[in-house]
Amino acid sequence: MSWFIFKRLTSLIPILLGISLITFILLYLIPGDPAVAYLRASHIPPTNETVAALRVELGLNKPLYVQYFVWLGKVLQLDLGMSYVSNNSVWEEIMVHFFPTVQLTFASLILIVVISLPIGMISAIYKGKFVDQFSRIVAFVSVSMPTFWLGFLLIYFLSVKLDLFPVLGRGTLAHLALPSLTLAFAYIGTYMRLLRASMLGNLNEPFVVYARARGLRQRLIVFRHVLKRSLLPVITGLGMSFGNMLSGAVIVETIFSWPGMGQLFVTSILNQDYPMIQGCVLFMGVIFVVCNLLVDLTYSFLDPRIRWEGEK
Amino acid sequence: MFIKRSNLFHSFVGLLVIFTILVTGCSKTTIDQENTSDNEKQKVVTFSWPGDIGDLNPHTYFPNEFFSQAMVYESLVYYGKGGEIQPWLAESWDISKDGKEYVFHLRKDVKFSDGSLFNAAIVKKNFGTILDNRKQHEWVGLINQIKDTKIIDEYTIKLILNNVYYPTLQELTYIRPLRFVGEAAFPDSQNTFKDGLKSQIGTGPWVLSEYKKNEFAVFKRNEQYWGLKPKVDKVVVKVITDGESRVLAFEKKELDFIFGNGVISQDSFQFLKNSGQYETKLSEPTATRTLLLNSNREATKDLKVRLALQHAFNKQAVIDKIFYGMEKKADTLFPPILPYTKINIEPYEYDAEKAKMLLDEAGWKQVKGKLFREKDGKELQLELLFNSTDNIQKSIAEFTQGDFRKLGIDVKLTSQETNTFWTTAFQGKFDLLFTATWAVPFDPHSYLASMTTNSENGSPDYNAQLGLPVKKEIDQKIKKVLLTTDEEDRKILYSDILTTLHEQAIYLPISYQSNIAVYQKNISGVDFLPQEAEVPLTSIDVN
Repeated sequence: MSWFIFKRLTSLIPILLGISLITFILLYLIPGDPAVAYLRASHIPPTNETVAALRVELGLNKPLYVQYFVWLGKVLQLDLGMSYVSNNSVWEEIMVHFFPTVQLTFASLILIVVISLPIGMISAIYKGKFVDQFSRIVAFVSVSMPTFWLGFLLIYFLSVKLDLFPVLGRGTLAHLALPSLTLAFAYIGTYMRLLRASMLGNLNEPFVVYARARGLRQRLIVFRHVLKRSLLPVITGLGMSFGNMLSGAVIVETIFSWPGMGQLFVTSILNQDYPMIQGCVLFMGVIFVVCNLLVDLTYSFLDPRIRWEGEK
Repeated sequence: MFIKRSNLFHSFVGLLVIFTILVTGCSKTTIDQENTSDNEKQKVVTFSWPGDIGDLNPHTYFPNEFFSQAMVYESLVYYGKGGEIQPWLAESWDISKDGKEYVFHLRKDVKFSDGSLFNAAIVKKNFGTILDNRKQHEWVGLINQIKDTKIIDEYTIKLILNNVYYPTLQELTYIRPLRFVGEAAFPDSQNTFKDGLKSQIGTGPWVLSEYKKNEFAVFKRNEQYWGLKPKVDKVVVKVITDGESRVLAFEKKELDFIFGNGVISQDSFQFLKNSGQYETKLSEPTATRTLLLNSNREATKDLKVRLALQHAFNKQAVIDKIFYGMEKKADTLFPPILPYTKINIEPYEYDAEKAKMLLDEAGWKQVKGKLFREKDGKELQLELLFNSTDNIQKSIAEFTQGDFRKLGIDVKLTSQETNTFWTTAFQGKFDLLFTATWAVPFDPHSYLASMTTNSENGSPDYNAQLGLPVKKEIDQKIKKVLLTTDEEDRKILYSDILTTLHEQAIYLPISYQSNIAVYQKNISGVDFLPQEAEVPLTSIDVN
């Protein structure tokens, strides 16, 4: 087991290096000059002299590979540089904005689990019945409705018309309800159908026939044997979605003025705040990879076949 | 294995519980909750802004916001209605006969919000830190003219200029950078531009009391304020980036008022106005929404082409269809209500036939079977640069593209994000560019002055005018008018400059922009202040 974990962890090194390399090179592909952007953000006229002086100061005159290693060295010490706009540490700004995003993502994850799993399970059990047809419609709406549209609809009906929730702000559960529901909704349909499909597959397995033959009750078969097996692909998916949501809640954060990573990232792009863009991309990349790793490890605990494959 | 398979379901539920605790447990007291209890005792008004207030430093620019800087910091003189310069932190002033020395007599009853005294010494110190970074503020003509500042006595200070500079008082009214911070606000290096402030200490009617970056800022009334005290105790500024969300928050009564320019769409304003549930107001014209034609590019270098474009653009249709008639049609570069801007010129009226004739004369002919006009085998294509985050610019750009197509002009739309947009604009890489004048107190003199240099924080107009045969002449006149002491000469010079710019057809004024205000019925005192960027928070009251 520990060998498996060790192998997975070491396999992260080239992936993380790859992310850092892409992040670093990405900035050279964005139109514009970091030195000019810095000067503009600092309100210093970007003349030939000031740009040349700053290029030396920022080390932009050195060969690209030297710049990369210097940057990587700092990154490894969690020094992501200073924001051109606010002059604050990029790492600190990311930390400030990451917490609201984590909060939003966790709340969305809870909603996904609480809503999609029971409906998915019931529609598998009552395949073809009304509840199944209903879940099909919900799933269809869920995956096809644009997030920004849903966000405004929820605000309009639940907040403005029915006065159930505040429109904006952060802090209480009521504030969290609408943004998290908006973020979760797109995933709810997917997981509902995923669990349904997975359960239907398992309900036809020989062990179910055997259990029935042993006279076990349907409820016991479904809950103790089928559901547990069927949850595996759902857990994998949720883990991946978690990473996705952590790094991609931009639209929801904009509609609900939620001061998270999405907003930070978009603002830094608009301001051409190069160190901040770099920091956000790298951070989100690492988060995504770590989430995938955790999913892999969880999966291997749940299904030893994967672990054995990995240890061979 | 640390999770027993038989306990999988329970572990899962357990995890959910932990998540829930995390989500709820980390909750903080929100601004709304706090205000609910406060509201019983205190009057609070809430409004929103599209971005964070910034670090609230009057000596720096972005990410600082004009409105919040104006709440906390004050100037020596105030830009009153109709451009009248009024006493403010200086109760009176004398100008030397040669016009090069200004002596300001400061008010004696002014204290900074930390209780420290406002006097000549702190004025000199503030001027010192601003002048140490002269290069960064060079767009303000006065900064380049200040030679020295001298303390005459505790409450008297003298400003010594290199040349006579007529807009001196006007530029002293600017919201930045010539405003004052208290001694305790200065960083150790004493350089407020490079190292920021230690704390936000000003003399203004408001004090920042609570702040969460990108979420909200709470300003409380400055109880030591020397002037007319605000009617409400607190102002809450919520950061709402999206215009539609802002409207919904207002409908939900989470905001007391919406104020500004471009903060909500024209559709939303019209909707709120027509609902009859709210009060709405539209200010007098503040600035001019303009298309800048680049005289330094192949096609638009030709005056006839520029004249053709002036006649080809259907302003009335844009105003009716895009602005719902809310903005007034603009015929001149500046609204004629500003000082020196009422000039006697004949506006360019919409006349498609005349535009075609002018294009023909310029050599851009229609070729049978081709959609666009050609000259020497080249199609007439004009690049229109606009800001991707500005919905109004986008709508006008698309309208122009469709309208000009009928005349055989191919308009290529280039949309860029704010920063890239300005970089491209400053480099002069456009045929047509969306721009706007700067509104009072910067119009007309500062906006015109910015045309004469290729400076930062200025405007892209310099490069766009380089192809004009009269560029040198215009620049000289602008420089001259700023140093002219005779009122009549000044009027003549301004009229000359604005007439030449009109004749050269370098600007295509579209409409005069206005500020909007929408407020709940229990709010009173919402009025437009002379400076476009100021929000009337001192006069606002909650009934």
